[in-house]
Formats: sequence, structure tokens, C-alpha cells
Amino acid sequence: MLVRDIMHGPAVTISVDTSLADAYHAMQHHDVRHLPVLQNDLLVGIVTDRDLRYATSVLHPAPFSEEVEVSHVMARSVITTTPLDPVEEAARLMRRHKIGCLPVMEGPKLVGMVTGTDLLDAIIRLTGLQKPTGRIAVQLADTPGQLARVAALVDAQDVNIHSVLTYPKANKQTLVILRVDTLNTRALADALRLGGLNVTWPPED
Amino acid sequence: MAPVVYHPRYLDYWFGPQHPFSPLRQRMLIDLLETMGHAFDPVLPQPATREEIRAIHSEAYVQQVEAASTGCPLPDASDYGLETMDVPTFQGMDTATRYLVGGTLHAARMVADGSARRVLQLGGGLHHAQHALASGFCVYNDLSAAIRHFEGCGLRVAYIDVDVHHGDGVQWLHYSDPALLNLSLHESGRYLFPGTGTIHEIGDGAGKGLKLNVPLEPGTSDDSYLEEFERVVPHALAWFGPDVLLIQAGADAHLQDPLAHLRLSTHAYEALFRRLIQLSDAHTEGRAVFTLGGGYDFDAATRVWALLYFLLQDEPLPGRLPQDWLDRWRDRLQTTLTPTLHDPEPTTSSGQVVAHNRQVTQRLLETVVPCWS
Repeated sequence: MLVRDIMHGPAVTISVDTSLADAYHAMQHHDVRHLPVLQNDLLVGIVTDRDLRYATSVLHPAPFSEEVEVSHVMARSVITTTPLDPVEEAARLMRRHKIGCLPVMEGPKLVGMVTGTDLLDAIIRLTGLQKPTGRIAVQLADTPGQLARVAALVDAQDVNIHSVLTYPKANKQTLVILRVDTLNTRALADALRLGGLNVTWPPED
Repeated sequence: MAPVVYHPRYLDYWFGPQHPFSPLRQRMLIDLLETMGHAFDPVLPQPATREEIRAIHSEAYVQQVEAASTGCPLPDASDYGLETMDVPTFQGMDTATRYLVGGTLHAARMVADGSARRVLQLGGGLHHAQHALASGFCVYNDLSAAIRHFEGCGLRVAYIDVDVHHGDGVQWLHYSDPALLNLSLHESGRYLFPGTGTIHEIGDGAGKGLKLNVPLEPGTSDDSYLEEFERVVPHALAWFGPDVLLIQAGADAHLQDPLAHLRLSTHAYEALFRRLIQLSDAHTEGRAVFTLGGGYDFDAATRVWALLYFLLQDEPLPGRLPQDWLDRWRDRLQTTLTPTLHDPEPTTSSGQVVAHNRQVTQRLLETVVPCWS
């Protein structure tokens, strides 16, 4: 899954000479929390609703007037991504820098935005249920060829795999969650166990 | 006396000897009733018409079923859930399924026109079938056909699904239906097919707040199941004020069931069925249709549905089951059978399961009750 699969665009933008008040109203109007700031069509900064509220707050040591231009309060070194970056890379970037969005750049051109909300949507799509399915959990050694063993045994039962999720466990083990197009997961689990696999769901009789 | 709707053609709905959804369940049950001296004299339904099926399912899907039914499934049958491990196709599948739908429809007609109050349909309950998708052993959705008939008569319906699997087909077919209250109690989709049935699926549009799901933890036993049923169902019925109840009485939440992980005993089923009858007396002047559903342990499913039969007929429950019946089916199935109608004793949930189910159900109510104002 790539950034282009989950991003949304075109982005709502403002220019450097937009006032804090107008920037805030733009956020309210478009129901967004981040605005990329452009100057001559180039990305020069980004401003968040939190930046605006703090800049104008009585808690700020020298509060700004709402007439001031956003260039005074925006962040200038903007962290960005590209449409072809993997989603997990974008997520890692946002986590590492503790930021809530990434402008998506194609060369110098801003083509969209990816936010934390888009990443949540991606999780729902990755783990979600597009079709009625049963669930099988298999614990595998984290070594080459293990998943191929599972797939071959499932194939032998003529069952279709709708999705596969894996996550690492302790002791060099990986938990693999299959969503399969059968209600009768018990029969499939029995076949996998006969093939020597450690099926952790459904439980044995 | 509650009329029983049944047709010998129901037995044609058969996916083959290796498939868990078996008509042997009805044969065992009918044989048990006859061995015990009950005159089994069912009302014979007509099969549902093609138009009645088309009111539920897409033309493309019905054509797929019809083609598969002649032994020549179309190349893209599996896009419609047919020719899969769960719904393999067989000669005559279309007609066989239409008999089951016709039976549930017939039961609905009897209740709607006042010729009966409570009716037991000894088949059907195909709650996974969707608009253009066969799923989970279900080809056509007989429950939706009954719901549509009731609604066509101006009746408000409460659909109660106690099958261990989420009643997803009925839910999605009626997700924004304002005249239908859906109540599905099932093992959590986090662990079990079809994966849906969370507390957040509460309906859409005019149906918002009318689709209630009670997903229960694996290991849920008699005590916790009945506790959560009480917390949700009577409350929702009192608010909604249905004219009729439609109950999918799947028997696969029983502890012996091989396909799921709830642990109900027959004692819970007795309490549950008595309570449903009581609730129909309280809210719908007794009007209720009961269908069968899932139930993949022959011994358990037969006893659960025999219980339902006796309770609906208002007859005393037998203790021991007839020895000749036990011998006959033990030999036939090559398995041991429970000699009594009831399991030895009720089951008890772990403290963790009880607490988790309580929390889930409370969150469900917090979500839907504000929609009820």
C-alpha cells in the first residue's frame, strides 16, 4: 500500500500573507487541522490549528494579533512524503517527528496530504472485512518458507484466503492471521495441524 | 398447539455427506417426535416463487443459482459465493432452497393473516445469504422473505437471531429498514465467521439504532448469555413495540457444537425459548415465527430443537429419550448420544468472560439508546 492509495488531494492551501484569522476560518470551513502554506506555488511552511490557537492565546508570552500573517507563526522546514512512498514509511516519519500530517510532493508540486486519520482508514482497510470470512491464527517460526507451507495446506483444502496479517512475537515466532472464505474453520484447522502447524485459533477440541 | 411448517423436500437442501449443514438434523428430530408418539402432521408449504426470491436477491445472482442448479454453474459462480467450500452447488439447488424460503414465508402468512399465533418452521434460518452472495451454507434468505411479507401487511417486525454466528445477511439486507428491529446474539466476529456483528453496526439512515449486535466472548456459558439477553432484548422490544417476532433459533451456541466456541447447555436454551415465548405474549399478543438455523452437532441440535418443539406445543418435557431411537441413531451416526433431553447440568462462564460481556453490552446500549429518543 502506497501513500497515493490513502492520500487525499488536492490539498486546501493558504498563502504566506493569509491572516491568522482567515487561516483559522479556512480550517473550520474545510474541517481540517493542517494547512500547507504556499508562496508562488511553492511549499514554504505548514500551520496547524494548535499553532494558531497558541499564537493568539493569553498563555502565549507575546500573543499575536489575529491580523498577523501566518508566515510569522508557521513551521518552515516541512517534512514531506511522495505518492510512491510506502504507507508504513509515512507512518514511521509521522511517529518519529510527532507530527499529524505529511504534505505529499511530486517534485516541487504539492499534490495532496496524508494525515493520521488517513492512516487509521488504511488500518481499517488492511484489517477490515470486505467479505464474510472465518479466522485462523497460526504461529510460525520466523524463518523462510513458513508462510508458503501454510498457503500450500490451505490451497489443498480448496479454501480461498481473503487476507493475511502477520505480526512478530517473542522468541523468533510470527503470528499469522488468515481470513478465509469458510465458516468451517475447524476442518481447515485440523488439516493445518495434520500438516504439522501450530494453529492457535480455533482451539483444539 | 403451534402449527409446524415442514415439507419433505426440505431434505433436498443437501451439500453432500462431508458438509456440516445436513438435513439429517430434521430427520433425527422428526423420528424422535414420532418415536415418542407425537402425530407429526406438518403444514406443507409451496416453494417460494421466482418473484418472491427476486424481491430479495439480484437477477444476476438468481441466474447464477439457476444455472448451478442444472449442474452447469457459470464460470464466475464463485464471485457470487457459489461453488465454494461452504456453498458447493448441486442439482436442484434452486428448487430445494425455494422450498425452505416458501416454508418461512408460509409461516409468516399464517401469523400475519391471524390463522395462527406461534408457528415453528422446521427448516430455514438462512441468515447469511446476501443480495448477490451465497455465504455460510445459505443460498436464499428466507428470513428476509418473511420480514418483507410482514412489512407488506403493515406489521413492525423484531428479528431475534440466536444462532452463534452473526446474522449478517439479514442485517445488510435491512440495514436502513425502519420497520425492522434486528437483535443478533452471537460469538464475537473477532474469532468467528462471518467477522461482523460488532456493537458499532447499529444501522443507517432511518434504520439507525435499530440493528443491535451482542458479540459474546468465546467460552460464554449459560449464566452470562442469559444475563446479556436480559440486558438488551426485553428493553429493546419494549421500546420498539413490534407486532410480530421472527426468531432464528440456530442451535450452534451449544457447547458440543464443533464450529463455534460458546458453551450453552440445553438448560440455557430452555430458559431462552421460554423467555422468547413470554416476550411474544407480552409484546406481540403471541405472534411469533421460529425457524431453525445452524447446529452442527447432531445430538445437541436435535435435543435443542426438540425442546423448542415441546415448549411451543406447551407439552411436558421428556426426561429420558426413547431407547430405540437412541440405538437407531447411534448406529447410524456411529457416535454416542446423550440419553436425556437435557444436558447433565448448566454451564458457568469464567469471571473474565462475564465481565467482558457485561462491558460490551453496556457500551452497545450507550451507543443505541440515544438513537431511540
